[in-house]
Amino acid sequence: MNGKVLLETKELRKDFGGNQVLRGISTQICQGEVVAIIGPSGCGKSTFLRSLNLLEKPTGGSVIFEGKEITAPGVDVNKIRQKIGMVFQQFNLFANLSIQDNITLAPVKLGLMGKEEADKRALDLLARVGLPAKANAYPSMLSGGQKQRIAIARSLAMNPDVMLFDEPTSALDPEMVGEVLELMKELAKDGMTMVVVTHEMGFAKEVASRVMFINEGMICEENEPQEFFSHPKNQRLRDFLAKVL
Amino acid sequence: MQSFVEQFTLNFINGNRYQYILQGFVNTLIITLLAALLGIVLGFLVAIIRSSHDKTGHMKIPNFICQVYLTVVRGTPTMIQLLIIYYVIFATVNVSKILAAVVAFGLNSGAYVAEIVRSGIMSVDEGQSEAGRSLGLNYRQTMQFIIMPQAFKNVLPALGNEFIVLLKETSISGYIGLTDLTHGGDIIRGITFSPFMPLIAVALIYLLLVTGLSWCVNKLERRLRVSER
Repeated sequence: MNGKVLLETKELRKDFGGNQVLRGISTQICQGEVVAIIGPSGCGKSTFLRSLNLLEKPTGGSVIFEGKEITAPGVDVNKIRQKIGMVFQQFNLFANLSIQDNITLAPVKLGLMGKEEADKRALDLLARVGLPAKANAYPSMLSGGQKQRIAIARSLAMNPDVMLFDEPTSALDPEMVGEVLELMKELAKDGMTMVVVTHEMGFAKEVASRVMFINEGMICEENEPQEFFSHPKNQRLRDFLAKVL
Repeated sequence: MQSFVEQFTLNFINGNRYQYILQGFVNTLIITLLAALLGIVLGFLVAIIRSSHDKTGHMKIPNFICQVYLTVVRGTPTMIQLLIIYYVIFATVNVSKILAAVVAFGLNSGAYVAEIVRSGIMSVDEGQSEAGRSLGLNYRQTMQFIIMPQAFKNVLPALGNEFIVLLKETSISGYIGLTDLTHGGDIIRGITFSPFMPLIAVALIYLLLVTGLSWCVNKLERRLRVSER
């Protein structure tokens, strides 16, 4: 919690044609923090996460990453995104590329690594996510859990400063949730800064350094997990926890 | 049997008449190949402009031009387009009939290829593009390395079909006095007054060409599908 501020939002707003999805979200995410975001579906938690790397363009407020306002006009968003990893609910592995090429495409095409260096790094990462034999496989040959672990490896290949997870286990069969959460736990232990939209309360309790409850486009309550789950103050949060726990 | 040999000799051997068919065959091949090439280039260009416009809202004027092009080409018969290009647009410049036909069929095919390719781009899941962009790839890189390869694979059967249609459509080239395969056969019919042999021969050659083309497309499809299982 005492690291420097890595990512900050100020009064972040997002409208979809008159429908206010985010209604002024201000928060700071520090280096090494693992922030779990929970909330009812349609509350804006995914939109908030996607605003952090500007996959959604905010309609108001600002996002500040490493001291730089990235919502300002003229900022090279592509450059910023290289440092913000993202893992999707639907994995979104590149269907036309082998696993190895999935991992090496961005570092090589963006000129961060030579092909050989990237290949070597890809093999290291595949070993790290426990899938060393899959380098030449294609995404369609893998199970959901394997795909998500590859997606995490692909994201890690860019050496991001922070990683965003958009419901990373929601599309998985129950028996595959564990392997993905385990990997995320390891990342957290290694000090990766993570923002995780999730329905896995167990993960939030055990791994997060802070839990954030978003409802109707606003942060209703945030706290360290112990206090958050044992003594929720907000009535909406109590109702929500009563339903999911 | 006797009459078959007689007919064959009359239509193809006497006066070296087979050369009409041969020349027509060569012309049909040249026109189809070059028009297909022009169609692919134009079609991909238009498809990329149109889908980029739909996605980003940029390129309003190019998109407008593309839409006019699509409307005009798809809204008028190919034969009229061929006649206009040869007798109106190229009226004052002395260009070969082959070139006029290539331009006409290429422009025509481009419009259909454009819509086929655009449907292919739209068929690729939005998440593929988001994943590319989230890694820091720009729009062009994402299109080039992720979206287009998948789009191309998805539309290959439709593209193959379009080129079969194109090949057969060139049979109207006779209307600008160009000796394509159809016209070549028809010239023989005009000389010998026996329609059966030359027309059946022409039909068989088209059938052979189309079969060969389908075979090539199938082979390419199978090769591209390797990545899926």
